[in-house]
Amino acid sequence: MKNSSQPSPPKLFSHLYIERDVLDHPQSQMIRRKFADSQVILIDHYKEVFNRPSQSFAAQSHSKKLILARKEGKFLHEGSQYSDGFGHEQFFYASSVKGCLYDCDYCYLQGLYPSANTVLFVNLEDVFEQLRPYLGKVTLVATSYDTDTLAIESLTHQTSMWLDFADQYENLYLEIRTKSANIKSLRSIFPNPRVTLAWTLSPQEIVDRYEHATPSLEKRLGAVAEAITLGWKVRLCIDPVIYTEKFAILYPELIEQIFRTIDPEAIEHLTLGSFRMSQSHLRSLKKLRRSDVAFYPYIVRDEMATYPEAIETHILETLLAKATQYLPKERIRTWQRQS
Amino acid sequence: MIYLITALDAEARPLCEYYRLKRDTSLPYTLYRSEEMVLLVSGMGRTNALMALSALLGWRIPEDKDILINIGICGAPLEYRIGEALLIHQILDGDRRYYPDILYSHLLRETSMRCVDTPQSLCGDYPVDMESSAIFQAASRFFKLHQMAFLKIVSDHCTPELVTKEGVMELLRSHVDTLDTLISRLRAIQKESSFFSADERDTIDVFKTRFTKSQGDALEDALTYFRFRNKGKFPPLNLLIPNSKRERSLLLEELIATLTA
Repeated sequence: MKNSSQPSPPKLFSHLYIERDVLDHPQSQMIRRKFADSQVILIDHYKEVFNRPSQSFAAQSHSKKLILARKEGKFLHEGSQYSDGFGHEQFFYASSVKGCLYDCDYCYLQGLYPSANTVLFVNLEDVFEQLRPYLGKVTLVATSYDTDTLAIESLTHQTSMWLDFADQYENLYLEIRTKSANIKSLRSIFPNPRVTLAWTLSPQEIVDRYEHATPSLEKRLGAVAEAITLGWKVRLCIDPVIYTEKFAILYPELIEQIFRTIDPEAIEHLTLGSFRMSQSHLRSLKKLRRSDVAFYPYIVRDEMATYPEAIETHILETLLAKATQYLPKERIRTWQRQS
Repeated sequence: MIYLITALDAEARPLCEYYRLKRDTSLPYTLYRSEEMVLLVSGMGRTNALMALSALLGWRIPEDKDILINIGICGAPLEYRIGEALLIHQILDGDRRYYPDILYSHLLRETSMRCVDTPQSLCGDYPVDMESSAIFQAASRFFKLHQMAFLKIVSDHCTPELVTKEGVMELLRSHVDTLDTLISRLRAIQKESSFFSADERDTIDVFKTRFTKSQGDALEDALTYFRFRNKGKFPPLNLLIPNSKRERSLLLEELIATLTA
Protein backbone atom coordinates (compact mmCIF):
# COMPACT_ATOMS: atom_id res chain seq x y z
CA MET A 1 0.00 0.00 0.00
CA LYS A 2 1.56 3.31 -1.01
CA ASN A 3 -0.70 5.58 0.95
CA SER A 4 -0.44 5.17 4.67
CA SER A 5 -1.59 8.60 5.83
CA GLN A 6 -3.57 8.72 9.05
CA PRO A 7 -7.08 10.12 8.62
CA SER A 8 -8.03 13.31 10.35
CA PRO A 9 -10.64 12.80 13.04
CA PRO A 10 -14.10 12.67 11.51
CA LYS A 11 -16.40 15.61 12.07
CA LEU A 12 -19.10 15.26 14.74
CA PHE A 13 -22.39 14.30 13.10
CA SER A 14 -20.78 13.96 9.68
CA HIS A 15 -23.88 12.03 8.68
CA LEU A 16 -27.49 13.01 9.35
CA TYR A 17 -29.92 10.15 8.94
CA ILE A 18 -33.37 11.71 8.69
CA GLU A 19 -36.73 10.00 8.66
CA ARG A 20 -38.64 11.15 5.59
CA ASP A 21 -41.61 12.14 7.77
CA VAL A 22 -39.60 14.66 9.78
CA LEU A 23 -37.51 16.08 6.94
CA ASP A 24 -39.63 19.24 6.96
CA HIS A 25 -39.99 19.51 10.74
CA PRO A 26 -38.65 22.91 11.85
CA GLN A 27 -36.08 21.28 14.11
CA SER A 28 -34.81 19.06 11.29
CA GLN A 29 -34.47 22.08 9.06
CA MET A 30 -32.60 23.99 11.76
CA ILE A 31 -30.21 21.09 12.31
CA ARG A 32 -29.63 20.68 8.58
CA ARG A 33 -28.68 24.34 8.38
CA LYS A 34 -26.31 23.93 11.31
CA PHE A 35 -24.67 20.87 9.76
CA ALA A 36 -24.77 22.04 6.19
CA ASP A 37 -21.64 20.04 5.27
CA SER A 38 -22.94 16.76 6.63
CA GLN A 39 -24.21 13.96 4.45
CA VAL A 40 -28.00 13.71 4.55
CA ILE A 41 -29.39 10.21 4.19
CA LEU A 42 -33.13 9.69 4.02
CA ILE A 43 -34.51 6.77 5.97
CA ASP A 44 -37.97 5.41 6.69
CA HIS A 45 -37.50 4.61 10.38
CA TYR A 46 -34.69 5.37 12.82
CA LYS A 47 -34.41 1.71 13.83
CA GLU A 48 -33.13 0.72 10.40
CA VAL A 49 -29.94 2.64 11.29
CA PHE A 50 -29.87 2.67 15.09
CA ASN A 51 -30.75 -0.99 15.57
CA ARG A 52 -28.62 -2.49 12.79
CA PRO A 53 -26.89 -5.73 13.67
CA SER A 54 -23.06 -5.80 13.58
CA GLN A 55 -22.48 -2.25 14.78
CA SER A 56 -19.43 -1.47 16.90
CA PHE A 57 -20.32 0.85 19.78
CA ALA A 58 -16.64 1.42 20.49
CA ALA A 59 -15.75 2.36 16.91
CA GLN A 60 -18.83 4.55 16.50
CA SER A 61 -17.97 6.45 19.68
CA HIS A 62 -15.18 8.20 17.77
CA SER A 63 -17.48 9.27 14.95
CA LYS A 64 -21.01 9.76 16.16
CA LYS A 65 -23.81 10.26 13.67
CA LEU A 66 -27.14 11.98 14.25
CA ILE A 67 -30.49 10.39 13.50
CA LEU A 68 -33.58 12.60 13.37
CA ALA A 69 -36.83 10.80 13.99
CA ARG A 70 -40.38 10.98 15.21
CA LYS A 71 -41.02 9.19 18.48
CA GLU A 72 -44.00 6.90 18.36
CA GLY A 73 -45.73 5.67 21.51
CA LYS A 74 -44.54 6.36 25.04
CA PHE A 75 -42.13 9.19 25.69
CA LEU A 76 -42.46 8.89 29.46
CA HIS A 77 -41.17 6.00 31.54
CA GLU A 78 -41.34 5.37 35.27
CA GLY A 79 -38.11 6.11 37.15
CA SER A 80 -35.92 3.10 37.83
CA GLN A 81 -34.65 1.58 41.09
CA TYR A 82 -31.14 2.82 40.25
CA SER A 83 -32.14 6.45 40.64
CA ASP A 84 -33.68 8.75 43.21
CA GLY A 85 -37.21 10.13 42.77
CA PHE A 86 -36.66 12.63 45.61
CA GLY A 87 -39.96 11.74 47.25
CA HIS A 88 -42.25 13.13 44.54
CA GLU A 89 -45.64 11.46 44.08
CA GLN A 90 -44.79 10.50 40.52
CA PHE A 91 -41.39 10.19 38.93
CA PHE A 92 -40.88 9.79 35.21
CA TYR A 93 -38.04 10.17 32.84
CA ALA A 94 -38.53 11.40 29.33
CA SER A 95 -36.68 9.75 26.48
CA SER A 96 -36.61 12.41 23.82
CA VAL A 97 -33.03 11.58 22.91
CA LYS A 98 -31.33 8.20 22.65
CA GLY A 99 -27.59 8.21 23.08
CA CYS A 100 -25.22 10.76 24.50
CA LEU A 101 -22.65 13.10 23.07
CA TYR A 102 -20.32 12.15 25.88
CA ASP A 103 -18.56 8.82 26.06
CA CYS A 104 -18.21 7.65 29.65
CA ASP A 105 -16.70 4.21 30.16
CA TYR A 106 -19.07 3.41 33.03
CA CYS A 107 -22.25 4.49 31.26
CA TYR A 108 -25.10 1.99 31.06
CA LEU A 109 -26.09 3.32 27.64
CA GLN A 110 -23.34 1.14 26.18
CA GLY A 111 -25.28 -1.83 27.45
CA LEU A 112 -28.70 -0.42 26.67
CA TYR A 113 -28.24 0.59 23.04
CA PRO A 114 -26.74 -1.25 20.08
CA SER A 115 -25.31 1.99 18.68
CA ALA A 116 -23.22 4.93 19.87
CA ASN A 117 -25.09 7.24 17.51
CA THR A 118 -27.60 9.77 18.77
CA VAL A 119 -31.30 9.65 17.96
CA LEU A 120 -33.07 12.96 18.42
CA PHE A 121 -36.84 12.77 18.48
CA VAL A 122 -37.91 16.09 17.06
CA ASN A 123 -41.60 15.88 18.10
CA LEU A 124 -41.08 17.04 21.67
CA GLU A 125 -44.56 18.59 21.52
CA ASP A 126 -45.93 15.04 21.85
CA VAL A 127 -44.15 14.49 25.21
CA PHE A 128 -45.96 17.47 26.61
CA GLU A 129 -49.28 16.05 25.40
CA GLN A 130 -48.51 12.74 27.10
CA LEU A 131 -47.45 14.42 30.32
CA ARG A 132 -50.44 16.77 30.80
CA PRO A 133 -52.87 14.10 32.14
CA TYR A 134 -50.45 13.33 35.01
CA LEU A 135 -50.00 16.87 36.15
CA GLY A 136 -52.91 16.82 38.63
CA LYS A 137 -50.35 15.32 41.02
CA VAL A 138 -46.89 16.48 41.98
CA THR A 139 -44.65 14.98 39.33
CA LEU A 140 -40.91 14.91 38.82
CA VAL A 141 -39.62 14.45 35.29
CA ALA A 142 -35.97 13.76 34.61
CA THR A 143 -35.46 15.26 31.17
CA SER A 144 -31.87 14.20 30.74
CA TYR A 145 -32.01 10.58 31.70
CA ASP A 146 -30.72 8.46 28.83
CA THR A 147 -28.65 11.31 27.47
CA ASP A 148 -27.22 14.70 28.41
CA THR A 149 -29.68 17.19 26.97
CA LEU A 150 -27.71 20.29 28.01
CA ALA A 151 -24.70 19.01 26.08
CA ILE A 152 -26.68 19.27 22.86
CA GLU A 153 -28.88 22.19 23.83
CA SER A 154 -27.48 24.47 21.14
CA LEU A 155 -28.60 21.86 18.64
CA THR A 156 -31.97 20.86 20.05
CA HIS A 157 -33.28 23.67 22.31
CA GLN A 158 -35.13 20.90 24.15
CA THR A 159 -34.17 22.18 27.60
CA SER A 160 -35.56 25.61 26.77
CA MET A 161 -38.78 23.98 25.57
CA TRP A 162 -39.04 21.96 28.78
CA LEU A 163 -38.49 25.07 30.87
CA ASP A 164 -41.21 26.95 28.97
CA PHE A 165 -43.56 24.02 29.55
CA ALA A 166 -42.70 23.71 33.25
CA ASP A 167 -43.55 27.39 33.74
CA GLN A 168 -47.19 26.57 32.97
CA TYR A 169 -47.69 23.71 35.45
CA GLU A 170 -47.26 24.17 39.17
CA ASN A 171 -47.16 20.43 39.90
CA LEU A 172 -44.35 19.80 37.48
CA TYR A 173 -40.81 19.51 38.79
CA LEU A 174 -37.89 18.96 36.46
CA GLU A 175 -34.48 17.50 37.03
CA ILE A 176 -31.94 18.28 34.34
CA ARG A 177 -28.86 16.20 34.96
CA THR A 178 -25.70 17.05 33.11
CA LYS A 179 -21.93 17.06 32.84
CA SER A 180 -22.08 19.97 30.45
CA ALA A 181 -20.55 23.38 30.96
CA ASN A 182 -22.89 24.83 28.37
CA ILE A 183 -25.49 26.86 30.22
CA LYS A 184 -25.80 29.65 27.66
CA SER A 185 -29.45 28.80 27.16
CA LEU A 186 -30.20 29.36 30.85
CA ARG A 187 -28.86 32.89 30.92
CA SER A 188 -31.91 34.39 29.23
CA ILE A 189 -34.52 32.41 31.20
CA PHE A 190 -35.99 33.43 34.55
CA PRO A 191 -35.05 30.64 37.01
CA ASN A 192 -37.90 28.31 37.93
CA PRO A 193 -37.74 27.12 41.58
CA ARG A 194 -39.27 23.78 40.55
CA VAL A 195 -36.38 23.03 38.24
CA THR A 196 -33.20 21.48 39.57
CA LEU A 197 -30.02 21.45 37.60
CA ALA A 198 -27.98 18.46 38.71
CA TRP A 199 -24.30 18.33 37.87
CA THR A 200 -22.34 15.12 37.93
CA LEU A 201 -18.85 15.84 39.21
CA SER A 202 -15.81 13.61 39.29
CA PRO A 203 -12.16 14.15 40.18
CA GLN A 204 -10.23 15.38 37.13
CA GLU A 205 -8.20 12.17 37.08
CA ILE A 206 -11.43 10.18 36.80
CA VAL A 207 -12.72 12.58 34.11
CA ASP A 208 -9.51 12.05 32.13
CA ARG A 209 -9.59 8.31 32.51
CA TYR A 210 -13.26 7.45 32.13
CA GLU A 211 -15.37 10.42 31.02
CA HIS A 212 -14.24 10.95 27.43
CA ALA A 213 -15.33 14.06 25.56
CA THR A 214 -16.78 15.67 28.69
CA PRO A 215 -15.91 19.14 30.02
CA SER A 216 -13.21 19.33 32.67
CA LEU A 217 -14.10 19.46 36.35
CA GLU A 218 -13.04 23.10 36.42
CA LYS A 219 -15.39 24.00 33.58
CA ARG A 220 -18.28 22.13 35.19
CA LEU A 221 -17.67 23.94 38.47
CA GLY A 222 -17.62 27.22 36.56
CA ALA A 223 -21.03 26.37 35.08
CA VAL A 224 -22.37 25.38 38.52
CA ALA A 225 -21.21 28.67 40.02
CA GLU A 226 -22.78 30.65 37.19
CA ALA A 227 -26.09 28.76 37.43
CA ILE A 228 -26.24 29.54 41.15
CA THR A 229 -25.49 33.20 40.50
CA LEU A 230 -28.29 33.26 37.94
CA GLY A 231 -30.65 31.96 40.64
CA TRP A 232 -31.10 28.33 39.58
CA LYS A 233 -31.58 25.54 42.07
CA VAL A 234 -28.57 23.23 41.90
CA ARG A 235 -27.84 19.72 43.07
CA LEU A 236 -24.38 18.22 42.91
CA CYS A 237 -23.89 14.54 42.29
CA ILE A 238 -20.74 12.63 43.06
CA ASP A 239 -22.32 9.64 41.50
CA PRO A 240 -21.13 7.24 40.27
CA VAL A 241 -18.02 7.04 42.41
CA ILE A 242 -15.44 4.89 40.64
CA TYR A 243 -13.32 3.06 43.15
CA THR A 244 -9.63 3.11 42.30
CA GLU A 245 -6.45 2.75 44.31
CA LYS A 246 -6.43 6.54 44.74
CA PHE A 247 -10.04 6.81 45.84
CA ALA A 248 -9.21 7.97 49.35
CA ILE A 249 -7.20 10.90 47.97
CA LEU A 250 -9.12 11.83 44.84
CA TYR A 251 -12.67 12.01 46.13
CA PRO A 252 -12.14 13.86 49.45
CA GLU A 253 -10.01 16.32 47.45
CA LEU A 254 -12.90 16.65 44.99
CA ILE A 255 -15.25 17.65 47.81
CA GLU A 256 -12.72 20.19 49.05
CA GLN A 257 -12.30 21.57 45.54
CA ILE A 258 -16.07 21.82 45.04
CA PHE A 259 -16.62 23.80 48.21
CA ARG A 260 -13.67 26.07 47.58
CA THR A 261 -15.62 27.24 44.51
CA ILE A 262 -19.25 26.72 45.52
CA ASP A 263 -21.00 28.04 48.61
CA PRO A 264 -22.47 24.95 50.34
CA GLU A 265 -25.51 27.02 51.33
CA ALA A 266 -26.28 27.60 47.67
CA ILE A 267 -26.84 23.98 46.74
CA GLU A 268 -30.00 22.00 47.32
CA HIS A 269 -28.44 18.59 47.85
CA LEU A 270 -25.27 16.67 47.41
CA THR A 271 -25.86 13.17 46.11
CA LEU A 272 -23.32 10.43 46.75
CA GLY A 273 -23.44 7.01 45.15
CA SER A 274 -21.01 4.36 44.11
CA PHE A 275 -21.02 2.68 40.71
CA ARG A 276 -23.87 0.23 40.17
CA MET A 277 -25.33 -1.33 37.10
CA SER A 278 -27.78 -4.01 36.06
CA GLN A 279 -26.03 -7.28 35.40
CA SER A 280 -27.26 -7.45 31.82
CA HIS A 281 -25.87 -4.01 31.00
CA LEU A 282 -22.59 -4.96 32.67
CA ARG A 283 -22.38 -8.05 30.49
CA SER A 284 -22.76 -5.88 27.41
CA LEU A 285 -20.07 -3.54 28.70
CA LYS A 286 -17.70 -6.46 29.09
CA LYS A 287 -18.28 -7.54 25.52
CA LEU A 288 -17.22 -4.09 24.35
CA ARG A 289 -14.00 -4.44 26.36
CA ARG A 290 -13.39 -0.71 26.47
CA SER A 291 -12.32 -0.06 30.05
CA ASP A 292 -11.33 -1.64 33.36
CA VAL A 293 -14.58 -0.38 34.92
CA ALA A 294 -16.48 -3.29 33.39
CA PHE A 295 -14.11 -5.90 34.83
CA TYR A 296 -13.95 -5.08 38.52
CA PRO A 297 -15.09 -8.06 40.65
CA TYR A 298 -18.46 -6.61 41.56
CA ILE A 299 -20.97 -8.38 43.73
CA VAL A 300 -24.11 -9.27 41.82
CA ARG A 301 -27.31 -9.59 43.79
CA ASP A 302 -30.88 -9.30 42.51
CA GLU A 303 -29.50 -8.66 39.02
CA MET A 304 -27.59 -5.58 40.22
CA ALA A 305 -23.80 -5.32 40.22
CA THR A 306 -22.25 -3.19 42.95
CA TYR A 307 -18.95 -2.93 44.77
CA PRO A 308 -18.62 -5.43 47.62
CA GLU A 309 -20.45 -4.17 50.69
CA ALA A 310 -17.25 -3.35 52.59
CA ILE A 311 -15.99 -1.14 49.75
CA GLU A 312 -19.38 0.46 49.21
CA THR A 313 -19.57 1.30 52.91
CA HIS A 314 -15.99 2.59 52.87
CA ILE A 315 -16.82 4.85 49.91
CA LEU A 316 -19.90 6.29 51.54
CA GLU A 317 -18.37 6.70 54.99
CA THR A 318 -15.30 8.42 53.58
CA LEU A 319 -17.35 10.80 51.45
CA LEU A 320 -19.96 11.44 54.13
CA ALA A 321 -17.28 12.29 56.66
CA LYS A 322 -15.83 14.83 54.27
CA ALA A 323 -19.12 16.20 52.96
CA THR A 324 -20.56 16.76 56.44
CA GLN A 325 -17.73 19.22 57.04
CA TYR A 326 -19.59 21.46 54.62
CA LEU A 327 -23.24 20.37 54.61
CA PRO A 328 -25.72 19.09 57.20
CA LYS A 329 -26.47 15.39 56.77
CA GLU A 330 -30.08 16.01 55.75
CA ARG A 331 -28.88 17.75 52.60
CA ILE A 332 -26.74 14.81 51.59
CA ARG A 333 -28.45 11.99 49.76
CA THR A 334 -26.77 8.66 49.38
CA TRP A 335 -27.37 5.63 47.26
CA GLN A 336 -26.55 2.30 48.81
CA ARG A 337 -27.89 -1.13 48.12
CA GLN A 338 -30.67 -2.06 50.53
CA SER A 339 -29.43 -5.17 52.27
CA MET B 1 -6.22 -9.12 5.75
CA ILE B 2 -7.84 -6.92 3.12
CA TYR B 3 -10.73 -8.51 1.27
CA LEU B 4 -11.42 -6.97 -2.14
CA ILE B 5 -14.53 -8.08 -3.98
CA THR B 6 -15.19 -7.36 -7.64
CA ALA B 7 -17.88 -8.73 -9.94
CA LEU B 8 -15.85 -8.78 -13.16
CA ASP B 9 -12.44 -10.04 -14.09
CA ALA B 10 -11.86 -6.76 -15.91
CA GLU B 11 -12.33 -4.95 -12.60
CA ALA B 12 -9.94 -7.31 -10.85
CA ARG B 13 -7.11 -7.29 -13.37
CA PRO B 14 -5.72 -3.75 -12.76
CA LEU B 15 -5.85 -4.43 -9.01
CA CYS B 16 -3.97 -7.71 -9.40
CA GLU B 17 -1.28 -5.89 -11.35
CA TYR B 18 -1.05 -3.02 -8.90
CA TYR B 19 -0.99 -5.14 -5.74
CA ARG B 20 0.93 -8.01 -7.41
CA LEU B 21 -1.62 -10.60 -6.50
CA LYS B 22 -1.19 -14.25 -7.48
CA ARG B 23 -3.92 -16.63 -8.57
CA ASP B 24 -5.11 -18.96 -5.83
CA THR B 25 -7.08 -22.10 -6.66
CA SER B 26 -8.26 -22.98 -3.15
CA LEU B 27 -11.90 -22.22 -3.98
CA PRO B 28 -14.05 -22.85 -7.05
CA TYR B 29 -14.09 -19.09 -7.63
CA THR B 30 -11.59 -16.76 -9.21
CA LEU B 31 -9.33 -15.74 -6.38
CA TYR B 32 -6.07 -13.76 -6.21
CA ARG B 33 -3.91 -13.38 -3.13
CA SER B 34 -0.91 -11.81 -1.53
CA GLU B 35 0.19 -12.00 2.08
CA GLU B 36 -2.10 -9.22 3.19
CA MET B 37 -4.80 -9.18 0.55
CA VAL B 38 -7.32 -11.49 -1.05
CA LEU B 39 -9.29 -10.52 -4.14
CA LEU B 40 -12.44 -12.39 -5.10
CA VAL B 41 -14.11 -12.16 -8.50
CA SER B 42 -17.67 -13.06 -7.65
CA GLY B 43 -19.34 -12.92 -11.04
CA MET B 44 -22.25 -10.64 -11.86
CA GLY B 45 -25.46 -10.39 -9.87
CA ARG B 46 -26.63 -10.88 -6.31
CA THR B 47 -26.75 -14.67 -6.31
CA ASN B 48 -23.21 -15.06 -7.60
CA ALA B 49 -21.95 -12.46 -5.15
CA LEU B 50 -23.72 -14.03 -2.19
CA MET B 51 -22.45 -17.54 -2.96
CA ALA B 52 -18.89 -16.58 -3.79
CA LEU B 53 -18.40 -14.28 -0.81
CA SER B 54 -20.01 -16.76 1.61
CA ALA B 55 -17.60 -19.42 0.36
CA LEU B 56 -14.61 -17.12 0.78
CA LEU B 57 -15.55 -15.92 4.27
CA GLY B 58 -16.40 -19.42 5.43
CA TRP B 59 -13.00 -20.58 4.22
CA ARG B 60 -11.01 -17.73 5.64
CA ILE B 61 -12.91 -16.23 8.59
CA PRO B 62 -12.12 -12.53 9.06
CA GLU B 63 -10.60 -11.06 12.23
CA ASP B 64 -11.32 -7.78 14.01
CA LYS B 65 -8.59 -5.91 12.13
CA ASP B 66 -9.62 -7.13 8.67
CA ILE B 67 -11.50 -4.99 6.19
CA LEU B 68 -13.63 -5.63 3.12
CA ILE B 69 -14.06 -3.38 0.10
CA ASN B 70 -16.46 -4.03 -2.73
CA ILE B 71 -14.96 -2.17 -5.68
CA GLY B 72 -16.38 -2.01 -9.16
CA ILE B 73 -18.21 -0.05 -11.79
CA CYS B 74 -21.74 1.33 -11.64
CA GLY B 75 -24.23 3.05 -13.87
CA ALA B 76 -25.38 6.45 -12.71
CA PRO B 77 -27.62 9.41 -13.55
CA LEU B 78 -26.14 12.31 -15.50
CA GLU B 79 -25.24 14.32 -12.39
CA TYR B 80 -22.44 11.82 -11.72
CA ARG B 81 -19.33 12.21 -13.88
CA ILE B 82 -18.03 9.22 -15.83
CA GLY B 83 -14.92 8.05 -13.97
CA GLU B 84 -16.05 9.56 -10.67
CA ALA B 85 -15.42 7.40 -7.59
CA LEU B 86 -18.36 7.12 -5.19
CA LEU B 87 -18.44 5.93 -1.60
CA ILE B 88 -21.77 4.30 -0.84
CA HIS B 89 -23.53 5.16 2.44
CA GLN B 90 -26.87 3.49 1.75
CA ILE B 91 -27.71 0.49 -0.40
CA LEU B 92 -31.33 0.23 -1.52
CA ASP B 93 -32.68 -3.09 -2.66
CA GLY B 94 -36.45 -3.21 -3.01
CA ASP B 95 -37.80 -2.54 0.48
CA ARG B 96 -34.49 -3.39 2.14
CA ARG B 97 -31.85 -0.87 3.07
CA TYR B 98 -28.27 -1.44 4.16
CA TYR B 99 -25.91 1.05 5.78
CA PRO B 100 -22.15 0.58 5.95
CA ASP B 101 -20.65 2.73 8.75
CA ILE B 102 -18.36 5.45 7.42
CA LEU B 103 -16.39 6.37 10.53
CA TYR B 104 -13.40 8.01 8.83
CA SER B 105 -12.90 11.25 6.98
CA HIS B 106 -12.42 11.12 3.22
CA LEU B 107 -12.68 13.27 0.11
CA LEU B 108 -14.92 11.02 -1.96
CA ARG B 109 -18.44 11.85 -3.05
CA GLU B 110 -20.91 9.88 -0.95
CA THR B 111 -24.20 8.63 -2.26
CA SER B 112 -26.96 6.07 -1.94
CA MET B 113 -27.04 3.25 -4.48
CA ARG B 114 -29.67 0.90 -5.83
CA CYS B 115 -28.84 -2.73 -6.25
CA VAL B 116 -30.75 -4.07 -9.26
CA ASP B 117 -31.27 -7.32 -11.16
CA THR B 118 -30.07 -6.38 -14.62
CA PRO B 119 -27.98 -3.68 -16.31
CA GLN B 120 -30.13 -0.53 -16.48
CA SER B 121 -30.89 1.40 -19.65
CA LEU B 122 -33.02 3.93 -17.84
CA CYS B 123 -31.50 6.15 -15.20
CA GLY B 124 -33.36 6.47 -11.91
CA ASP B 125 -32.56 8.58 -8.88
CA TYR B 126 -29.34 6.89 -7.75
CA PRO B 127 -26.36 5.02 -9.17
CA VAL B 128 -26.98 1.31 -9.72
CA ASP B 129 -24.99 -1.88 -9.39
CA MET B 130 -25.92 -5.56 -9.23
CA GLU B 131 -24.00 -7.01 -6.26
CA SER B 132 -23.72 -4.55 -3.38
CA SER B 133 -26.74 -5.63 -1.31
CA ALA B 134 -25.75 -9.30 -1.49
CA ILE B 135 -22.16 -8.48 -0.57
CA PHE B 136 -23.39 -6.41 2.37
CA GLN B 137 -25.66 -9.24 3.53
CA ALA B 138 -22.96 -11.89 3.37
CA ALA B 139 -20.19 -9.67 4.75
CA SER B 140 -22.18 -8.33 7.70
CA ARG B 141 -22.31 -11.87 9.12
CA PHE B 142 -18.53 -11.75 9.47
CA PHE B 143 -17.55 -8.07 9.60
CA LYS B 144 -18.71 -5.15 11.71
CA LEU B 145 -20.32 -2.41 9.68
CA HIS B 146 -17.30 -0.10 9.97
CA GLN B 147 -14.98 -2.76 8.55
CA MET B 148 -16.55 -2.67 5.10
CA ALA B 149 -16.81 -0.12 2.31
CA PHE B 150 -18.41 0.05 -1.09
CA LEU B 151 -16.39 1.97 -3.67
CA LYS B 152 -18.03 2.37 -7.07
CA ILE B 153 -16.70 4.05 -10.19
CA VAL B 154 -19.20 5.52 -12.64
CA SER B 155 -18.80 3.72 -15.96
CA ASP B 156 -21.86 4.96 -17.87
CA HIS B 157 -25.04 6.99 -17.71
CA CYS B 158 -27.25 3.92 -18.02
CA THR B 159 -25.82 2.90 -21.38
CA PRO B 160 -24.36 -0.46 -20.33
CA GLU B 161 -24.03 -1.54 -23.96
CA LEU B 162 -21.26 1.03 -24.37
CA VAL B 163 -19.16 -0.30 -21.51
CA THR B 164 -16.13 -2.26 -22.75
CA LYS B 165 -13.70 -4.54 -20.98
CA GLU B 166 -10.82 -2.18 -21.78
CA GLY B 167 -12.85 0.78 -20.52
CA VAL B 168 -13.54 -0.98 -17.23
CA MET B 169 -9.86 -1.82 -16.78
CA GLU B 170 -8.90 1.77 -17.47
CA LEU B 171 -11.44 3.10 -14.95
CA LEU B 172 -10.16 0.78 -12.24
CA ARG B 173 -6.55 1.55 -13.09
CA SER B 174 -7.22 5.25 -12.72
CA HIS B 175 -8.51 4.70 -9.17
CA VAL B 176 -5.90 2.49 -7.55
CA ASP B 177 -4.73 5.48 -5.52
CA THR B 178 -8.32 6.13 -4.42
CA LEU B 179 -8.51 2.53 -3.28
CA ASP B 180 -5.17 2.78 -1.52
CA THR B 181 -6.32 5.80 0.44
CA LEU B 182 -9.60 4.16 1.35
CA ILE B 183 -7.76 1.06 2.57
CA SER B 184 -5.50 3.12 4.81
CA ARG B 185 -8.46 5.08 6.23
CA LEU B 186 -10.44 1.94 6.92
CA ARG B 187 -7.51 0.17 8.50
CA ALA B 188 -6.74 3.11 10.76
CA ILE B 189 -10.05 2.76 12.59
CA GLN B 190 -9.91 -0.98 13.19
CA LYS B 191 -9.03 -2.10 16.69
CA GLU B 192 -6.36 -4.53 17.75
CA SER B 193 -7.71 -7.98 17.11
CA SER B 194 -6.65 -9.53 20.38
CA PHE B 195 -6.44 -8.15 23.87
CA PHE B 196 -4.05 -10.87 25.02
CA SER B 197 -1.22 -12.28 22.91
CA ALA B 198 -1.51 -15.85 21.62
CA ASP B 199 0.88 -17.08 24.34
CA GLU B 200 -1.02 -15.25 27.05
CA ARG B 201 -4.28 -16.66 25.68
CA ASP B 202 -2.88 -20.19 25.89
CA THR B 203 -1.69 -19.65 29.45
CA ILE B 204 -5.09 -18.31 30.51
CA ASP B 205 -6.96 -21.14 28.84
CA VAL B 206 -4.77 -23.82 30.43
CA PHE B 207 -5.03 -22.16 33.84
CA LYS B 208 -8.80 -21.89 33.55
CA THR B 209 -9.20 -25.63 33.00
CA ARG B 210 -8.44 -26.14 36.70
CA PHE B 211 -11.48 -24.14 37.75
CA THR B 212 -15.22 -24.16 37.19
CA LYS B 213 -16.72 -22.16 34.32
CA SER B 214 -17.86 -19.30 36.55
CA GLN B 215 -14.51 -19.22 38.41
CA GLY B 216 -12.74 -19.17 35.06
CA ASP B 217 -14.89 -16.24 33.90
CA ALA B 218 -14.15 -14.34 37.11
CA LEU B 219 -10.43 -14.95 36.61
CA GLU B 220 -10.59 -13.78 33.00
CA ASP B 221 -12.37 -10.59 34.13
CA ALA B 222 -9.69 -9.97 36.76
CA LEU B 223 -6.91 -10.51 34.21
CA THR B 224 -8.61 -8.10 31.82
CA TYR B 225 -8.93 -5.55 34.64
CA PHE B 226 -5.23 -6.02 35.44
CA ARG B 227 -4.23 -5.58 31.78
CA PHE B 228 -6.23 -2.37 31.48
CA ARG B 229 -4.62 -0.98 34.60
CA ASN B 230 -1.09 -2.19 33.79
CA LYS B 231 -0.57 -1.68 30.07
CA GLY B 232 1.38 -4.48 28.45
CA LYS B 233 1.91 -6.42 31.69
CA PHE B 234 0.77 -9.95 32.34
CA PRO B 235 0.90 -11.56 35.77
CA PRO B 236 2.65 -14.91 36.34
CA LEU B 237 0.07 -17.72 36.37
CA ASN B 238 2.38 -20.54 37.39
CA LEU B 239 0.86 -21.07 40.81
CA LEU B 240 0.66 -24.56 42.18
CA ILE B 241 -3.00 -25.51 41.98
CA PRO B 242 -4.19 -27.46 45.03
CA ASN B 243 -6.34 -30.55 44.57
CA SER B 244 -8.84 -29.61 47.23
CA LYS B 245 -11.85 -27.74 45.86
CA ARG B 246 -11.95 -25.43 48.87
CA GLU B 247 -8.25 -24.55 48.64
CA ARG B 248 -8.59 -23.91 44.91
CA SER B 249 -11.43 -21.49 45.56
CA LEU B 250 -9.38 -19.69 48.20
CA LEU B 251 -6.41 -19.46 45.88
CA LEU B 252 -8.56 -18.01 43.14
CA GLU B 253 -10.13 -15.51 45.51
CA GLU B 254 -6.66 -14.32 46.58
CA LEU B 255 -5.47 -14.11 42.99
CA ILE B 256 -8.47 -12.06 41.91
CA ALA B 257 -8.04 -9.76 44.91
CA THR B 258 -4.37 -9.22 43.99
CA LEU B 259 -5.13 -8.58 40.32
CA THR B 260 -7.87 -6.06 41.05
CA ALA B 261 -6.29 -4.34 44.06
